Amino acid sequence: MPPAPLILAFDTAGPHCAAALLRGADLLDARVEAMERGQAERLVDLLSEMLAEQGLGYADLSALACGTGPGNFTGVRIAVSAARGFALALNLPAHGVSRFEAEALDLPRPCLVALDARRGEVYAQRFGEGAHGPALLASGDALPLDGLAASRGDISGLPAGHLPPVTPETLARNIARIAHARLTGGEPAPPPAPLYLRAADAAPSRHPAPVMLP
Amino acid sequence: MATATGGDRIILGIESSCDDTAAAVVQRVDGRAHVLSSVVLGQTALHADFGGVVPEIAARAHSERLDAAIAQALAEAALGFDDLDGIAVTAGPGLIGGLVSAVVAARAIAAARGLPLVGVNHLAGHALSPQFSAELPFPYLLLLVSGGHCQFLLVRGPDGFERLGGTIDDAPGEAFDKVARLLGLPQPGGPSVEEEARRGDAARFAFPRPLLDRAGMDLSFSGLKTAVLRERDRLVAGAGGLRRQDRADICAGFQAAVADVLAEKAARAISVYLGENPANPALCVAGGVASNATLRSALQAVASSTGCRFVAPPLALCTDNAAMIAWAGLAQFDAGSGGDFAARPRWPLDQDAAPMLGAGKKGAKA
Repeated sequence: MPPAPLILAFDTAGPHCAAALLRGADLLDARVEAMERGQAERLVDLLSEMLAEQGLGYADLSALACGTGPGNFTGVRIAVSAARGFALALNLPAHGVSRFEAEALDLPRPCLVALDARRGEVYAQRFGEGAHGPALLASGDALPLDGLAASRGDISGLPAGHLPPVTPETLARNIARIAHARLTGGEPAPPPAPLYLRAADAAPSRHPAPVMLP
Repeated sequence: MATATGGDRIILGIESSCDDTAAAVVQRVDGRAHVLSSVVLGQTALHADFGGVVPEIAARAHSERLDAAIAQALAEAALGFDDLDGIAVTAGPGLIGGLVSAVVAARAIAAARGLPLVGVNHLAGHALSPQFSAELPFPYLLLLVSGGHCQFLLVRGPDGFERLGGTIDDAPGEAFDKVARLLGLPQPGGPSVEEEARRGDAARFAFPRPLLDRAGMDLSFSGLKTAVLRERDRLVAGAGGLRRQDRADICAGFQAAVADVLAEKAARAISVYLGENPANPALCVAGGVASNATLRSALQAVASSTGCRFVAPPLALCTDNAAMIAWAGLAQFDAGSGGDFAARPRWPLDQDAAPMLGAGKKGAKA
């Protein structure tokens, strides 16, 4: 039997560098460093250290996985850029996993993940029956709550018994577990792309073009 | 771990400081640069509806295109990561979103393949790029003139740059883009304004030549932009729109003003430079604006009247590209630099020069 696949997963969509190393279903290591900024300088070194302490190197990996948000735009791009760089350099698949998928991993269906998006808005996705999203909702919009078996989030308006968001360490581990399931299921791994859900801030030109005469 | 010190080396360059996602492979043979591949994925269409390059749109595009650009550069060079001696990535100055994506991707590749990595100053890339065209003894005089930059540099060595002067507000490339937008011409503005100017009368409108009356080599283009806007509005108010001939005349007049300013300031920079009695003196021009034929011939005329060679990189290496980053990175590997660096939006090439007027309290940007 071939050895179980080795998966390196990481997330920088929040104020952290979070990483997990999974061998098959077994978690070899997970670590989290809290930081408001500086993920771009820290992430790759943290991953190298984590591998080295297991006596492993990048050449031993079977796949990469990264969190694709939603979250801090720059943070999401850091993880995605690292995953794409590793995938190219190692000729390995990189699986992009959204924060919704990672938050919903161990919940019964149907379930709702609803996260504070600031600016009075909510990032939401419903899984299972009545699937909805991922979407950016105004905080006044009705959440798709009918018949939920579970919910997770950090906003008001969730049903009684809702769970808080997972910790960054669980987030990284769940990203790795989802990638493992996709890998063993033979699912394709398109290059990871950020899940922004919010358009880029951009103003049209202040000086519109003139009417042209002959 | 592979080393990249001295001798014939092959370097992967990565550049994403503004709105071009670029990767290139450069080999040095007997001291000369050989560009094995140079891939540039532009973003003009993404920014066309807005008043210039939108940082968040640029950042989004870079993060999803860098890997493809790098793969294409390696494929075109018919090389793999094993063939490389090192990686050079632009670490600044520029838009931080794109810089961060490239630096992180470069770090990942370097760690995964055990390759040395250096962070390169984008302006150093431009400043050394005339070496793609000719063997240039130091010191040479460089006018870097692009969409984001405009400065005169005395290039004393691969890591020795003295800024003689520069723009105190906008860069000429930015002014060309803005003028194109004001006149309903397509982006990028450089080529479209140049094309329109061919049909125009440069003498019809008396546009200002900012800072020509002031000593020194600093430049300004913001007032010229505003003068074009006023002239356009005056014509539109009079006729209910802009006539084709008006537009061509404005383009010609604007371009002539930029040419006059650059030529006069270049003449002043050359006289400072010649004061050092350089052997085989050269005026070099780099940056996208150097591809404008009118500006180029104005600068060529100044060079020949002062006994300087005129040297510009090949056209494709004038605008932002990653070959120049690989080449500047090679010089850094020679000097033994490496180790830690971070993406930084502000990174003046000449650390000793006084910040430009308008640079803000954080000091010089570039």
